[in-house]
Amino acid sequence: MIPKFTLGNNKWNLLLVIIICTLIISLITLYGIRLNEDIHEIAQEQFTHQQLLLSKQISTGIEEFLNQNTINIEILANHISDTPPGEVIPDFINVYYHSRGIYVIEFINESGVITMGYPLEDIPTGYDLYEHDQAYTFEKARDNQKTYVTKPFLLMEGGLGVTIWSPVYKGDEFKGVTLAIIRLSDISNRFLQNYDSTEEVYVVDEFGTILCGSSDRYQAGENFIDTVNGTNPLLFQILNKQMNGSEGTGYYFESNTFEKKLAAYSPIKWRNRLWSIAVVSPQSDVDDLIYSVYVKQVGLIGLSGGFIVLFSLSIILLLTRWNKSLELEVASKTSEITKSNELLKRANTKLMELDKLKSDFVSMVSHELKTPLTPMKISAEFLLQSDPDVSVRREMLELIVRNIDRQTRMVNDMLDISRIESGNMRFRKEMLDIGEIINSAFETMKKQSEEKKINITTDISPGLTKINADKDKLIQVFVNLLSNALKFTPDGGNVEIKAFESGKYIEVDVKDDGIGIPPDKIDKIFDKFYQIDNTYARPYSGSGLGLAITKSIMEGHGGTIRVESTPGEGSVFISIFLK
Amino acid sequence: MNPDDIDNEIVNIIKKDPEMPYSRIAELLLISEDEVKEKLETLSDTRQKILIVDDELDTLIPLKRALEAEDYLVVEASSGMEAIEITRSVHPDLILLDLMMPVMDGFEVCKVLKDDVLTGHIPIIMLTAKGEIDDKIEGIETGADDYVTKPFDLGELKARIKMILRRTNV
Repeated sequence: MIPKFTLGNNKWNLLLVIIICTLIISLITLYGIRLNEDIHEIAQEQFTHQQLLLSKQISTGIEEFLNQNTINIEILANHISDTPPGEVIPDFINVYYHSRGIYVIEFINESGVITMGYPLEDIPTGYDLYEHDQAYTFEKARDNQKTYVTKPFLLMEGGLGVTIWSPVYKGDEFKGVTLAIIRLSDISNRFLQNYDSTEEVYVVDEFGTILCGSSDRYQAGENFIDTVNGTNPLLFQILNKQMNGSEGTGYYFESNTFEKKLAAYSPIKWRNRLWSIAVVSPQSDVDDLIYSVYVKQVGLIGLSGGFIVLFSLSIILLLTRWNKSLELEVASKTSEITKSNELLKRANTKLMELDKLKSDFVSMVSHELKTPLTPMKISAEFLLQSDPDVSVRREMLELIVRNIDRQTRMVNDMLDISRIESGNMRFRKEMLDIGEIINSAFETMKKQSEEKKINITTDISPGLTKINADKDKLIQVFVNLLSNALKFTPDGGNVEIKAFESGKYIEVDVKDDGIGIPPDKIDKIFDKFYQIDNTYARPYSGSGLGLAITKSIMEGHGGTIRVESTPGEGSVFISIFLK
Repeated sequence: MNPDDIDNEIVNIIKKDPEMPYSRIAELLLISEDEVKEKLETLSDTRQKILIVDDELDTLIPLKRALEAEDYLVVEASSGMEAIEITRSVHPDLILLDLMMPVMDGFEVCKVLKDDVLTGHIPIIMLTAKGEIDDKIEGIETGADDYVTKPFDLGELKARIKMILRRTNV
């Protein structure tokens, strides 16, 4: 028996492939989850880093802007120390337009009075600082001989601004201070308004006061650190770090929405001031990023899973087909073998039948040859041993001659049969008149028929077409048929021979009113050594080969012979020749 | 009328009137004169009777002549059925039975005769053209007393017949 688990078994194939498939898919999924964690981490890190860079970029921009403007003012202050007061204005204009960020440039003389500036309409000329008790910064710049930057303050025109106080010295002689105002709203517009995404940017100073922001949440002038102190400890920590001038990142949760936010902060160092900028972005941004990666990953897993399933299915299909073709092959081979077995069996049966026929033939031949020997021997021995009368002696001698004739006939018949069977029977064909042939046969059998008082009548159609045949063999055919008819017809019976044309054929019927042939024997009468048992036949018993020889001769001439018979009424042997 | 009855009738008639002519007896028993003559010859015949059974007349005739020359009364039968019939009416002293016969062969005839109380004692010599051992065994099993293969030696057959008849007569 074939073991159940084979490559050809569909059920096992399917199971195996499904197991492999599931294994691969779960491996990929596991790897995907592991990868996700890494990706999450990396994305987080990258995002943080990116936000920090962004904050640095902004802080650098602002820092540069402020310092550049400060340097410009310092250069201007240095420059105007040598210039007569009346020629200073063009320099102011020059600096004003080059800086593109300075709200107003003013000059305050050594006694603290604003004498000139640009743009003219914003200059409160003649305004005395001392009179308004606003000379603190003026004096600080003068005494330190160093540019000084103030905290933001409320401008007269509204809004917050910072001022740059740069002292003007000609040698050691104090000439006054160049004052420039930069509006915080300008900084905001210039650097912070480009972020319309979820990100927010704000700038605080070293005291935790909001200077400007990208959204309305961050109100300039509001003390941020006071606001968050106690309510948002994480943001408070971040602000403290910002106020220390450090750079870095940190998380906090919004007090009202509890939204997780990332703040990346960088310091802005501007002379005596230390500001800090922070880029705030919600965690959801990172999550969105990761989510998009996830989506792609899931897509990839789905795709590879699908591919694996497809691949497996095609393997299953392939195996199944292979299996089927194998099965078909096996089936066809099996049927081939069965068929050839069947053929062999049949051939074997046939051979056995032939073998039996052969041995039957041999035993029949020996029997038939021995049979006439017995009377010959008895008669001869009787004649030798006794001295009977003339009549008995004559009877014995006749018996011996008759049996010698019988055996001679037998030997001749057997030679004929063997010639026929080996295909060596030669026909000397010539054009013959069937009527003459029948008459010759009739003459031959005349004596025998007279002995039995059987009346033979012939009815031969005149002008029958001649046929091409062997004369002696054809006479033998009709002699055999007549002798057969005489044998099976009781004394005083009738035998009739009829010859006539029928279409393309010539038919010769030999009819007797003898005992007939039983239906179950009618197929066998043309077989070799077949003899129907009957008492009439005894005095003329033949070799049992006559009809077999007759049939062979007929077939050798391209004709046929058959018999029709009714037991008790008689038989008709119908020979048909082709014209 | 049964042949045995005819025999008895003939015997009775002759006992009453030994001078009665054959023609008168034939008239009384409704048979021919020849038959009466034959019956009387048979009845008066003291020779031993041998029945030869063979479908081949050519074998039967010379054997009959040879055995008649040896002074046996020979009765013949050319088929199995006839052999059984004749055996029952004639009660031969010996049967020479041919094996190869159509319709009813020698074995069957032998079996029928040997199974019958009236005929079972009659010795049978089987004659056959086949000289096979199987036939010999079957022949003896069915009760045949001897077995001769054709073509046999006439002298030998005669010797065997004599031997068997002497044995049964003792």
